[in-house]
Amino acid sequence: MDDGLLLRRVIAGDEGSFTLLYRRRHPAIYRFALHMSGNVAVAEDVTQEVFMTLIRDVKKFDPARGTLSSFLFGIARNHLRRRWEQDRHSVALPDDADELETLLAACAGAGKGTPSNGNGRAHAPFLVRRDEFTSLETVARVRQAIATLPENYREAVVLCELEEMSYEEAASALDCPVGTVRSRLHRARALLAEKLHDEQPLRRASAVGE
Amino acid sequence: MKDEAKLMDCTEFKEIYQELDRPGTSGYRFRERALSHAEACPRCGALLTEGEALDFALRNLAESSARWEASPRIEANLLRALQQAKLAGSRQRIRKQFAILGAAAAVLLALGIGVHQRITSRARTTSLDAANVAGSPEAGTTNDEVAVSSATPGESTSVASANQADENEYAEEFVPVPYADDPAALEGGAIVRVTLPRSALASFGLPITESEGTDRVSADLIVSQDGTPQAIRLVSQENANSDF
Repeated sequence: MDDGLLLRRVIAGDEGSFTLLYRRRHPAIYRFALHMSGNVAVAEDVTQEVFMTLIRDVKKFDPARGTLSSFLFGIARNHLRRRWEQDRHSVALPDDADELETLLAACAGAGKGTPSNGNGRAHAPFLVRRDEFTSLETVARVRQAIATLPENYREAVVLCELEEMSYEEAASALDCPVGTVRSRLHRARALLAEKLHDEQPLRRASAVGE
Repeated sequence: MKDEAKLMDCTEFKEIYQELDRPGTSGYRFRERALSHAEACPRCGALLTEGEALDFALRNLAESSARWEASPRIEANLLRALQQAKLAGSRQRIRKQFAILGAAAAVLLALGIGVHQRITSRARTTSLDAANVAGSPEAGTTNDEVAVSSATPGESTSVASANQADENEYAEEFVPVPYADDPAALEGGAIVRVTLPRSALASFGLPITESEGTDRVSADLIVSQDGTPQAIRLVSQENANSDF
């Protein structure tokens, strides 16, 4: 069932369709908000606000202007900016960074069948294979590097690299030309490479069989 | 150096090397040429390796975060909000229907009142015409005297009762005029109905205001045998005309 049909049913008040649509689309919105804010509470608030907006103004979505996904990312972006206007401290606070790293480690552990007590920091090194450890370390470094990027660049990286959106979809979500997305992404990747290179050359654990 | 590599210089390579795996881009289109160039050019080869490492790291991060989801509490909140929105929507529809019905009722009421007033004013005009005909000199009376009743006050009571029985008429109690000189006339005098300017009421000792001076009013007079008014009562002006 495509998004358009689900949306029509949501407009008619069908709760089942809304649930289906939410479960299909919310993880990407949540991830975007979490990568952008680095704060689980903010990401949950933004996710809720995005779908609240969809409930209130579902008729504002115009398929001719982009996909539903782009529409939702656009709303999320507006909410995030509003949040930042209200509270500049929601990005890159040490506590938030710890929280995200914990979540990353927990997810990585859960995904690979590694024992986890829900707190990624509790993973004992002897329970983690060397390639997994390296991977976790790399992931944390990349996430931190992304968090230090300027907001416009961070958006481009999250949407185009982490959410694998096309330039066109990202342009629609970010409300800017495709060329702008492309140049922001190029610049962001160059900055990321620079930041990661400064710390330590990236290790391709799995790729090189380290 | 392969021939293909010669087709791409370092500037072109740097322009596209970050999007070699992205379908729909020029990097994807010239991927083979770019790879050939990277093989031939150590500097661009290093750039490509670094880009691939970054791709790998980003993919790792994407995979690690792929299972992130908001807590179930958010879904529950949203479903509650959806239910409330539905409820509010249906209430709004009901309120709109009530508003439409109310407006229709108000229009009907206004129309009804308008029709009623038109009918009443037409009837009044007809009565006034009849009264003017009755009060004209050709009818054998003065302009002020439009009806004369020779009933005695005892009879006047019955007349008044009869008049009061008429829903359209309201009369006050008789008030002796200031110059009344025949108290007996109050008991046995004739009752005369007159229409006269409101200003003339002053001559009977009744208060008037200037603005009322040009109105005409109906009144009953008790006159003595010599024709002198002894007492007066006002008859409700609006409805008195219907008596004529």
